[in-house]
Amino acid sequence: MNKSGKLLISVAAAAVCVAGIAGVQAAGKKFDITTIVKISGIQWFNRMDEGVKKFAADTGNNAVQVGPAKADAQLQVQLVEDTIARKANAIAIVPFSVAAVEPVLKKAMDQKIIVVSHEAASIQNADVDVEAFKNNEYGEHFMKALAKCMAEKGQYAVFVGSLTSESHNQWVDAAIAYQKAHYPNMELVGSKNETADDQQQAYAKTQELLRAYPNVRGFEGSASTDVAGIGLALEERGMADQTCVVGTSLPSIASQYLNTGAVDMISFWDPSLAGYAMNKLAVKLLDGEKITDGMDLGLKGYEHTSLVGKVVYGQAWVDVTKDNAKDYPF
Amino acid sequence: MPKINYKSNEFLVFLVIVAFVIVATASYPGFFSIPTLFDLLRNGIVIGIFAIGVLLVLISGGIDVSFTAVAVFALFTTTLTVKQLGLDLPWPLVFLVSVLIGMGLGLINAVFIAGFRLPTLIVTLGTLSALRGFLLTFVGSQLISNVPPSMQQFSRLVIVRGTNAQGFFYSLPWAFAFLVGVVVLTWFLLTRTLLGRNIFAIGGSLESARRIGINVRLTQVFVYAYVGGLAGLAGIIHASMARVANPFDLVGLELSVIAATVLGGARLSGGYGTITGTLLGVILIVMVNNSLILLGIPSTWQSVVIGALILLGTGLPSYQAKRAARKAG
Repeated sequence: MNKSGKLLISVAAAAVCVAGIAGVQAAGKKFDITTIVKISGIQWFNRMDEGVKKFAADTGNNAVQVGPAKADAQLQVQLVEDTIARKANAIAIVPFSVAAVEPVLKKAMDQKIIVVSHEAASIQNADVDVEAFKNNEYGEHFMKALAKCMAEKGQYAVFVGSLTSESHNQWVDAAIAYQKAHYPNMELVGSKNETADDQQQAYAKTQELLRAYPNVRGFEGSASTDVAGIGLALEERGMADQTCVVGTSLPSIASQYLNTGAVDMISFWDPSLAGYAMNKLAVKLLDGEKITDGMDLGLKGYEHTSLVGKVVYGQAWVDVTKDNAKDYPF
Repeated sequence: MPKINYKSNEFLVFLVIVAFVIVATASYPGFFSIPTLFDLLRNGIVIGIFAIGVLLVLISGGIDVSFTAVAVFALFTTTLTVKQLGLDLPWPLVFLVSVLIGMGLGLINAVFIAGFRLPTLIVTLGTLSALRGFLLTFVGSQLISNVPPSMQQFSRLVIVRGTNAQGFFYSLPWAFAFLVGVVVLTWFLLTRTLLGRNIFAIGGSLESARRIGINVRLTQVFVYAYVGGLAGLAGIIHASMARVANPFDLVGLELSVIAATVLGGARLSGGYGTITGTLLGVILIVMVNNSLILLGIPSTWQSVVIGALILLGTGLPSYQAKRAARKAG
């Protein structure tokens, strides 16, 4: 590298420093926070990166997001090691495998690095974990939406990606329990239908449900491809208007069925807000603030968080219908 | 009128199918109906085309487990290319592209199998894994939910459409015609051409086939290219009907397809297999897969049922053959 090149870089670096200092004058101190995600380059975590970048722009902290090129627990551990070596102030992590990162996170905490996690409610070695919502509240919210759409009566069926998926089953169980307590005129038909996160299976199971229970009119999906398979089967039968379909999915998967009315509502949590919330909590801890029950993170869905142990729960699910699907391009 | 062999696999599978229909109808009378038939036929299209391909490979004395990876590679690459280039190709051209990609990938198998004479299972296990990894790493891992308009249009083409008592539709899509076409073409190939006889011959005994002057390599190249082409076709039909190109799809279906083919009497040792048997095997597998809610069987039992059927389907004929041999001996 020649001299003028070096000079240019120093000038640029100085400029960045000045800009950074100007940005955090109000907060007082500038922190180095690294967000480590499961895998980089997929839409979900690209969206989270937007939140992290926004946090950096809003607060002037040096917040960056990194992630392994492929979903591999060991690669993620290496990234944590690198971050410790760089002496970052805080680590925000979405663990690929909680068990795999526990030892390295302990090492980070031993070196007084603040650790904030997400999608890891059972984690041991973290100062605080943030979850978008409690699974049972999320499940109940689906039943409320389904009941409203079905005028609180009729038969419905539920789908899970796998009978061993903890979150899917918690959502569905909470929904069924809520129906039994509040909507006596609704009836669950069949058991939990397993789709292996495969749209074709959700499609075939829907066809079969319609043969076995010709009056079933409500469907709740759990895996992101469930509602697409259900929607396709209903659309082919010309039943889109007579049926109600709700479930967890993403606009990129479900929007064509939202548009035709075959799927009525999908929900998910916005990763950009989760990324922002993790970084915000990290700064609060670095500033020596305490995390309290009911605290307001100033983010949509995280205004009235609840603290259970060291897990901060929001109510940050996003409901998407055909009217607002285009606001979420992922 | 061909004579029915009451001891054949085909007849056994046929009996199981009849028994299954009777049980299903007894537990739910609405089972025996046109809408059920159309649902099952529609769900059997992709698996049926795959099974015909597998049959050809089994007859030739090999085994192919890579066809699902070939299919998903072909369907995803085709959809992505058509979308990226912004081409408004009519669906027959889109299908042709996918078939050609499938054939190309099938030729990779052929190079290792016919060229280097490696065992077919090892080669296709390798290509299964390599193709899928290549697809996800270099081509793309995000599903395309807005497939080109011509593919969506294809998914709405129906041969027959009916209305049930409640005023809802049931229909048989045109995609079914492709399965019929593949069946007719492959039947003609196997029973009416010299190439077909050669495929049987190399499956029966590779060495004998070589000695009587059959070009074994060329025959194998044809078999794997043909199967690749069929996989490409099945893949693009799958994507069109589901209106989504998902790079994680299909792989994992291999065993069900091979099970259907073996159930229908095709021998893993090569040289024997019929299209009728394969289709019966497909019907049975699709019917079992799509009737568990109706019969109230939990989905975890599904694989147990299919496994038991395979053991029964392959075990009984071999037991009968042994008994016949003892009698004769």
